[in-house]
Amino acid sequence: MHAPVFSEAYADDAPRPHYRELVERLEKLGTEELERRSRLVESTFRTLGITFAVTGREEGLERTWPMDLVPRIIPAAEWATIEAGLKQRVRALNLFLEDLYVGPQAALAEGVAPRWLVESADGYLRQAQGIEAPEGARCVVAGIDLIRDSEGVYRVLEDNLRVPSGISYVLENRVAMTRALPTAFANHDVRPVNHYGAMLLTALRSIAPPASSDPTVVVLTPGIANSAYFEHAFLARQMGVELVEGRDLVVEDHVLYMRTTRGLHRVDVVYSRVGDEFLDPVVFRADSLLGVPGLLTAYRAKNLTIANAVGNGAADDKAVYAYVPDMIRFFLAEEPILPNVTTYLPWNPQDMTLILDRLDELVVKPVAEAGGYGIVIGADADRQTLDRLRRTLLDNPRGYIAQETIQLSTHLSFVDGKLAERHIDLRPFVLTGSQMEVVPGGLTRVALPEGSLIVNSSQGGGSKDTWVLEV
Amino acid sequence: MLSRHAEDLYWTGRYIERAEDTARLLDVTYHGMLEWSDKDVPQAQRDLLEVLFLDETFDGDLSDTAAVTEFLVLDTDNPGSITAAVERARLNARGLRDRISSELWEAINTFYLDLRARDLRADIERQPYQVYRWVRNACQTVTGVAAETMPHDDGYRFLVMGRLLERAEMTCRLLDVRYHRLVDSGGAATAFNRWAALLKSVSAYEAYLKEYRAAVDPIKMLSFLLLSPNFPRSVRYCLRGTEEQLAELLEPDRLTDAQRLLGMVGAKVEYCDIDSLVNADLGGFLDELQRDISQVGVAIDRHFFHHATDLDLHFYISR
Repeated sequence: MHAPVFSEAYADDAPRPHYRELVERLEKLGTEELERRSRLVESTFRTLGITFAVTGREEGLERTWPMDLVPRIIPAAEWATIEAGLKQRVRALNLFLEDLYVGPQAALAEGVAPRWLVESADGYLRQAQGIEAPEGARCVVAGIDLIRDSEGVYRVLEDNLRVPSGISYVLENRVAMTRALPTAFANHDVRPVNHYGAMLLTALRSIAPPASSDPTVVVLTPGIANSAYFEHAFLARQMGVELVEGRDLVVEDHVLYMRTTRGLHRVDVVYSRVGDEFLDPVVFRADSLLGVPGLLTAYRAKNLTIANAVGNGAADDKAVYAYVPDMIRFFLAEEPILPNVTTYLPWNPQDMTLILDRLDELVVKPVAEAGGYGIVIGADADRQTLDRLRRTLLDNPRGYIAQETIQLSTHLSFVDGKLAERHIDLRPFVLTGSQMEVVPGGLTRVALPEGSLIVNSSQGGGSKDTWVLEV
Repeated sequence: MLSRHAEDLYWTGRYIERAEDTARLLDVTYHGMLEWSDKDVPQAQRDLLEVLFLDETFDGDLSDTAAVTEFLVLDTDNPGSITAAVERARLNARGLRDRISSELWEAINTFYLDLRARDLRADIERQPYQVYRWVRNACQTVTGVAAETMPHDDGYRFLVMGRLLERAEMTCRLLDVRYHRLVDSGGAATAFNRWAALLKSVSAYEAYLKEYRAAVDPIKMLSFLLLSPNFPRSVRYCLRGTEEQLAELLEPDRLTDAQRLLGMVGAKVEYCDIDSLVNADLGGFLDELQRDISQVGVAIDRHFFHHATDLDLHFYISR
C-alpha cells in the first residue's frame, strides 16, 4: 500500500519537541472552543472580504479564504537550510534567465538544458530577447513550492517565477492567528512576516531605471475579475502605491504614464500581476484589453522596469524544472541544497518507456498548467483515464512530465470539528532586488479532504499560518 | 489619484445616496398612502417613480403597490433599485480596496451581504418601516464611516461630491414632482399631511418645524428645501458643498468648466425670487435646475475622469 507518511507534529505518537507546547495548548482548549475560534476566524475573513475565486465550479464565484486553526512550526535550524536552498535556487534561476535573454546563452550552448526544450516553453518569449533587467533581478518575486517526503526531506515541487500569488494570505493568516490563538502565539518566538510590503517596495525601488531618483512604483492588475485581485489590492495598500489597470496607463515617447485627476504621472516600476502575453497588444496578443500599447518598447528603452521580468516562463516550465539542479551546478558550482522530486520527461524515449510502464504509480502533470489543474495521480486513476493519458503522452510528449508519487507530509489540522492529520505543502516567497531576501515561512497549504494530495486553493485546499521560530 | 479611482469613488457616493433616498421616499409614500384613499394610490406611485426618474422604465401596474416596491427595492435589472445601487457601490468599493479604509469596505460589504441574506420581499410585507429604516441606517453608516475613517483627501472629496450632486438632483426632482400636486390638494388636514410627507422624505420635517414653527406653508417649505444654508439636503447646501470640494481639488488660479457651471447654477438658486416663481413657472425653473446640475456632473466627468489628452491616440484600445 502507501509508503509511510512523515508527520510534522508527531513522532511515534508523541509531539515532536517544537510542537509540544502547541499540542498541549490545543488539547487544553478542547474541540468546542477550537470550533468557536474557527468560526470566528471564518467570519472575520468573510467580513473583511478575504476571498479567492474558484474557477470551473458552480457554487459561488468567491469563497472565503479557509484557514486552519493549527499553525505549522518550523524550527530555526531547519529554516536556515530551507532559506539557503531557496536563495541558491533563485540565484541560479536569475542567472539562467539573464544568460538566456541578454547573455551568451552559455547554459544552452553547454547543454545544461536542451535549447529546443527551453525555446519551446510557453513562457519563453523571443520578444523579450535583449531586454535588460537592472541588477539582473528577473525573478523579483519567486514562489518556490516545497513538499516534504516520507523521510522528512524538503523537496522542490515546482518554481513559480511569473506571477506567484499567496503572500497576502500569509499576512492575513498571521493577523487572524494572533487573534485566534493569542496565548499560543505569544509563547512562541515567531519571526514576523508583516513587513512584507516594505520588503517588496524596497526590492522594486532598487531595480528602477537608473535615471529615476524617486521612482514611482505601481501594481498592475488584470482587474477585479481576476482570482487574485484581492491580493493585488492588498499589496498596493501594503506598499502605499497605486493599483492600476491597463486602461489607467498610457505610453508616449516610450515613457509610461498613469492617468490621474491631476493629469499624467510618470511610472518607473511596474509590479505586474498580468500575464506576459497580455502586457502589450502591439507585441503580444492584439486582443488583450488588459495591457498597454507600447509598454514593451518603453521597457526595452529602459524607461521603466517590469517585475517579474517578461519571459520568466522559460524557466518555470515544468519540463525545464527538471534541469534546475544542473543550472545550480553550472552557474554556481554548488550542489543543490534542496533536491527536486524525481522527474521523468516523456520526450526522452528512455523516460517514456519507464513512464508508460509505471503509469499507475507516477503523477503526470501538464507542463503549462498551474493551480493543480490537469494533474493525474496514477495510483488513484481508473483504467480508462490511464489509457487516455497514455495516448495523450504519446501524442504530446513535450506537454507533460511524470514524477514519482510523493506522500506529502501531514500536519495536525482542525477539520470538521476535530483534530486530524492532513497533507500539506509550503510555498515560501523569495525576493530579489539589489539584495535577496526570503520571507520567513510562507504559505502552508492543506488538502482538506482526508487523504487528498491536492493542496491548491483553487481545488478546495485550505491554509495554515506558518511559524518560523527565532531559535 | 487615478482618474478611474476618482470616478469609482464619485459613483459610490452617488449609489449610496441613491439607495438612501429611495428608501426614504418609499417609506414616506407607503405611510402616506395609509392615510389616503385607494384612488390616490396609482398617482402616488407614479409620482414616486417620477421623482426617482424611473417612471418610463417601470412597465407594471401602478395600482399594484407591491410591484412598484419590488421594482424599486429588489429588481436588479432596474439600475436604480436599492439592491442594484448597493451591489454597484460594493463592486466599486471592491475595486477600491487599496484606496478606501478597511472600515469603509467592511461597512459596504456588510451592507451588501446583509441585503442578500435577508428575505426582503417577506420583510417588506411584514414590516416595511423597519426595512426602510435599516437601509437608511446602513447608508448613513457608510457615510459616517467614510467621514471618520478616511483621510479627507482627494478620494474622499470625490465620494462627497457624488453624494452631494445626487442629493441636489433628488431634492430638485422631489420638489418638481410634488409641489404642484400639493398646492392643488384638498382640505387643510390632508394638505398638512402631504406637506409633512414631502418634508419627511428628505428628513427635513423636524428641521423645518424648528426653523418656522409649525406653519407648513408652501413658500416657506420651498425656500427651506431650496435655500437653507445649513440643512444638508437643501439644494443650496449641496451645491455649496460641491463647490468647496471642487476648490480643494483644483488649482486656485484657474477656473474650470465645472466650477463655472456650478457658480452659475448656485447663483440661480441663491438669488431666485421664490414668491414670483410660485406664481409663474416654478416647474420650468426646477427643470432647468436639474439640467444644470447634471451638466455640472458632465463637466466633472470631463475634467477629472475622461479628460482627453494628446496621448489619446491609443484611447480606443486602452479603454
